Amino acid sequence: MRHTVIISAALLMLGASLAAHHSAIQFDFTNSKAVTGVVKKFIAINPHMQLVLHVKDAKGERDIEFEGHSTNNMYRAGYRDNMIKVGDTITVYIAPLKDGSDGGYVTAALTASGTRFGARSRAELEQERLKAEGKK
Amino acid sequence: MHRRFRAAPGIAAAGLVIIVFGATRLGAQQPDFTGVWTTYNDPGQGPGGGGGGRGGGPPLPMNDAAKQKVEKYQALVKPTGDTPGGYCLGTGMPGSMLGSGGYPMEIHQRPEQIMIVYEAHNEVRRVYLGDRMVPEADRLPGRNGYSNGRWEGNTLVVETTNLIEQVDQRYAHSSKAKIVERYRLEKGAKGEAVLVAEMTMTDPEFYTAPVTATKKWAKVPNGHLLPYECAEENWIKHLEQLEKKAAGK
Repeated sequence: MRHTVIISAALLMLGASLAAHHSAIQFDFTNSKAVTGVVKKFIAINPHMQLVLHVKDAKGERDIEFEGHSTNNMYRAGYRDNMIKVGDTITVYIAPLKDGSDGGYVTAALTASGTRFGARSRAELEQERLKAEGKK
Repeated sequence: MHRRFRAAPGIAAAGLVIIVFGATRLGAQQPDFTGVWTTYNDPGQGPGGGGGGRGGGPPLPMNDAAKQKVEKYQALVKPTGDTPGGYCLGTGMPGSMLGSGGYPMEIHQRPEQIMIVYEAHNEVRRVYLGDRMVPEADRLPGRNGYSNGRWEGNTLVVETTNLIEQVDQRYAHSSKAKIVERYRLEKGAKGEAVLVAEMTMTDPEFYTAPVTATKKWAKVPNGHLLPYECAEENWIKHLEQLEKKAAGK
């Protein structure tokens, strides 16, 4: 009986953990958008970095949650410890949510000290190409 | 003094035996794959290449029953985009040897055992050689199975069995699958060390013919793997939920 209770509790905890998981299907990786804000929360973990920015834009003032590439991928794309701290004003480059709501998948970031890390998305590369060619 | 001189040839002979035995034990004749390796792209091949991906090509020689199993699984996860990795599950064979999600791997080579550590999910494969091989009756099946290795000249041949059925693999397979990997060193376009891994999978329950694939790895000089605690994100989120609950929110 005791074992049953323990196993049931373990399964409930596992269920709660699994419920926290989700895939990246909700993000539009064909697009890229830059969002600037003040860091309220940042955790460099795997499989996805976690970030909350306090943003002020045409829609108003609010906190927006983001997730991003794995810390390991970001590390190999230039990220190092303490590059992002709570209170910093940073810009993140995201694959926006397909439904147009706030949030997105961080593929790169420009830190408060001006260091950029991360990958350039296809959309960013295309935008840079068009700009370089004077078409945008 | 005289006796010491007479003993010297015996000592020298014993030393020679130790040296020869030691050289054999250390596998001095075999190439050393020890080090950190990352995906190698042949010249002209874009990022994300290096083998391992299906990337189109001819369809796999999968029988109808296996196709139905794979389609049933894909119908289940496609709407959500869920993957085993998203649930912190290691890639499993043959996905691990064919790239492990694009992350690097580290090889530690000893004569009797070769450890392959894939950075993603801290996944580990152990390849046993000679007396280190695990008797069939003492094995438990798993996503990476059991791997036995042997040297054929400069090529390391690894046979993997005792796998569980994995319809979530890019190269899906049953528990009867047998995967043979052949590893050898080559030189890349810039003269760098490239580890070529050729895979042949036979599976009478899923396939009507052997399935083959090749993955190439480039040596990372003085490379290091990074930690990868996949479950940390979920644990933090779980703690946040507990904090909210405790605060009555």
